[in-house]
Amino acid sequence: MLRIDPLNLRSILVAIALAVCSGQAHGDALDGVLEVRSAYVSMEGGVFLLHARIEYPVSPAIRDALHDGVTLTVDLDTRIERERRFWFNADVQELTLRRELDYHAVSDRYLVRDVRSGTQKSFATLEEALADLGAVDGWPVLIEPQLAPGNYRISVRAGLRRGRLPASLHALMFWTDDWHRVSEWYTWSLPD
Amino acid sequence: MVAPGLTGPAPAKPRWRGVALVLLWAGVGVGALLLLAKSVQNSGEFSRLQPWILLLNVIGVVALTALLARKLTQLVRDYRAHVPGSRLTARTVAIFGALVVAPLLIVYLFSLQFLNRGIDSWFHVEVKQGLSDALVLSRAALDLRVREYSRHTENLAHSLVNASAEDVAQRVYEERRATAALEMAVYGAHERIIAASLENPLESIPTRPPSDLVRQVGERRAYVSLEPQAGGEYLIRTAAPFTESLSRGDDRYLVAIYEVPTQLAALSEAVQHAYSQYGELAALREPLKSSFRLTLTLVLLLAMLAAIYGAIFSAQRLVRPVQDLIEGTRAVGKGDFGTRLPLPSRDEMGFLVHSFNDMTKRLRRAREEATRSQRVVERERERLAIILARLSTGVVVVDRELTVSIANQAAGAILGTDLSAAIGRALPELTAGNERLGQFVAALVVRFGAGREEWREQLDLDGASGRRTLMCACTPQSGADRDLGYVIVFDDITMLLQAQRDAAWGEVARRLAHEIKNPLTPIQLSAELMRRRFLSSMSPQDAEVLERGTRTIVQQVETMQQMVNAFSEYARAPEMRITRFNLNQLASEVADLYRSHDPRVEIRLELDARIDGIEADRGRVRQILNNLVINALEALDGVATPRLELATRFEQAAGDARYAIVTVCDNGPGFQRELLGRVFDPYVTSKPKGTGLGLAIVKKIVEEHGGRIDADNRPEGGARIRVVLPMTDSTRSASGIRERRAELRREIV
Repeated sequence: MLRIDPLNLRSILVAIALAVCSGQAHGDALDGVLEVRSAYVSMEGGVFLLHARIEYPVSPAIRDALHDGVTLTVDLDTRIERERRFWFNADVQELTLRRELDYHAVSDRYLVRDVRSGTQKSFATLEEALADLGAVDGWPVLIEPQLAPGNYRISVRAGLRRGRLPASLHALMFWTDDWHRVSEWYTWSLPD
Repeated sequence: MVAPGLTGPAPAKPRWRGVALVLLWAGVGVGALLLLAKSVQNSGEFSRLQPWILLLNVIGVVALTALLARKLTQLVRDYRAHVPGSRLTARTVAIFGALVVAPLLIVYLFSLQFLNRGIDSWFHVEVKQGLSDALVLSRAALDLRVREYSRHTENLAHSLVNASAEDVAQRVYEERRATAALEMAVYGAHERIIAASLENPLESIPTRPPSDLVRQVGERRAYVSLEPQAGGEYLIRTAAPFTESLSRGDDRYLVAIYEVPTQLAALSEAVQHAYSQYGELAALREPLKSSFRLTLTLVLLLAMLAAIYGAIFSAQRLVRPVQDLIEGTRAVGKGDFGTRLPLPSRDEMGFLVHSFNDMTKRLRRAREEATRSQRVVERERERLAIILARLSTGVVVVDRELTVSIANQAAGAILGTDLSAAIGRALPELTAGNERLGQFVAALVVRFGAGREEWREQLDLDGASGRRTLMCACTPQSGADRDLGYVIVFDDITMLLQAQRDAAWGEVARRLAHEIKNPLTPIQLSAELMRRRFLSSMSPQDAEVLERGTRTIVQQVETMQQMVNAFSEYARAPEMRITRFNLNQLASEVADLYRSHDPRVEIRLELDARIDGIEADRGRVRQILNNLVINALEALDGVATPRLELATRFEQAAGDARYAIVTVCDNGPGFQRELLGRVFDPYVTSKPKGTGLGLAIVKKIVEEHGGRIDADNRPEGGARIRVVLPMTDSTRSASGIRERRAELRREIV
């Protein structure tokens, strides 16, 4: 399917909007490397499990923001497509693994929380917390019956943004919020 | 200027296009705003649409700006070009725009101010300080526990240094129970569990110590951490090596996990939650304000542009019928009554336009009616003009000041002036140099001055070319307005009178010849008989008386005989013997004859070589020349240097008609003015001798040849007689005589 990346579009629009209206200079708060270093899937009992290593940026700005009480939402978007020869690829599955990172001021620890399961881990340092976030092991993304014969492509992308906003504010914020980044898609073919 | 489409049906296309455009943009704008509003309520679904919504709004703003710019440019151009209706449109747009934009701007500024202040008010310094204090307090409260547990764990570890393995297990179990710890375990090298006691009877293995704990106790240092749990609980994880000395080689350490009391944990968690929330919001303050400002500005721009565009559109729609009316009125002003305006709607404006259309329809009908009537009048006038032109009677229409409004050709010819050029001028202005017209005008002035409006009289007009007699009738022009003027109708009856006189004289002559000639011969014979019979027998005295008496009788009878012969000649209408001869030659012969007859008189000849031959009765033409020369010679009696001029001249009239004009002039006393009109009548003469029939006979012969004769006095003195003779016999057709006369008359004038 033809896609126009909404985030790219958004950055263009934000640029226009800033140039036209605001004139305020926003530095990129999420400077640093954000990329999927490696990713692969393994199959176990008919379930495809995703393993990935992601590098998240560490910067004083992030640290300060976390210390001020800001929660960072870390998304891992996974997309599985069936390749078609004469047409756009067909979407088979789209999943997002959403986790949150915040600083627990009372205990002086960094918490990593899985949004869906509600499980939570705490770390003494930001680096440890980010290392934990950057390791995804055995995340079930697909079951075998979903696959028909053919070639499949899996794409993984990591995203980082300031999260846990009230929904109404979030809607308004999207065009002035520079606390939002995504990595390039990391794509490979599913072995037959 | 008539706008295209004015006369046709209503120009539906552009108007509908405009409406469709406005509706489209209004729909897009409203849709975008709705989407934006909905996305605020349900961010999950619409977060993906946000860029598109924003794009749509930006496109909307740009498109509206472009449309507005176009409209405004056109409006300004129209305003400068003074296009009808542009000022009204501009004023309406200004009023509408001000009415819409002013409240919008006020609301916008107010909202902006309110937002800024509202958002700023969320982040008071006191709140932040309070939260920080609460955090410190919570930490202090927890810290107390943490240190307490840590010390306890350290003490316990130290106390277990020399204990046996069984004792260690026992002590751990007891201590765990005594301190209500969740877990208590003793590890050896490589995290080997030496002894463990857990509160949860279902679990047999203690939680694996985190790596930082292992690292720290490996360095023979105590470890403690406060770990928040998912359910809002807090665990205090403490660890202490059995001994701080690395040289002892004892790797064992004690790990104990305690639970923070629920109340303290809940309070601390509440503080943490508030701190986190506040921090998050504080970080968002500026972006949030910018977002609100941008959204608000976008909404304002959209609303304002749409409102101004709507104002222009509405104003143009409102003004459109007015423009149509202006253009329609201009068209009507220029005489285009075919203008029909499109009906805009069924409101008052529609009624006005309907009335306008009705008016133009009535005007068109009225004009058609007027045109038809005018055409009829024109046709009548043309007919009248043709009739007037064909008339040989002069017709002149004048007003009270004698200004000519109508004059036909014949009038000009009779009065001796070109009256067609005199239309609109007063008759008295034209009298200079025209004696006859002067007399005519004088006669009119006299009669109008006397208050006579309707009359019919004979006017005698004297001029250099003789007296003319006009039968003149004047009638006031009929009509309601009595000041329309007068119609003066006149006819030149000179010829008619002359003809009557000629006929009368002809009759007299015929009768004279008949009644007198017969007794003359017996009288003469009787007188001669008496003389022969009685002369010899009478005394000389009586004989002389008889002789004288009879001689007188015979002489008088001969004289009477001559007179009767002349009359006879005058009355006679002999057969014409038309031959072709040279007129110039004949003139020369006559001149030579009279030169020898009276050498005292200088006779000059002036002959036109173009007259080579003329078709006429040679004998009678000779008589004309003889009589004219004799008449002139008789008039020259007693003149000191008598001079006579005989001239011929060739004249080409209209068509093929050619004429020879013979002029005989003398330097004698000229004609008496009162006789000028009657010089060709018999017995009209001022000379002591002559029969008085010479010129009468000349005139008769000339008229028999289809010619014309005129007599007048030369300005330098002396008489002048002009004879006009047709050069060919064909010209002399009976039917053409009257026309030719008129022609000749004009030429001679």
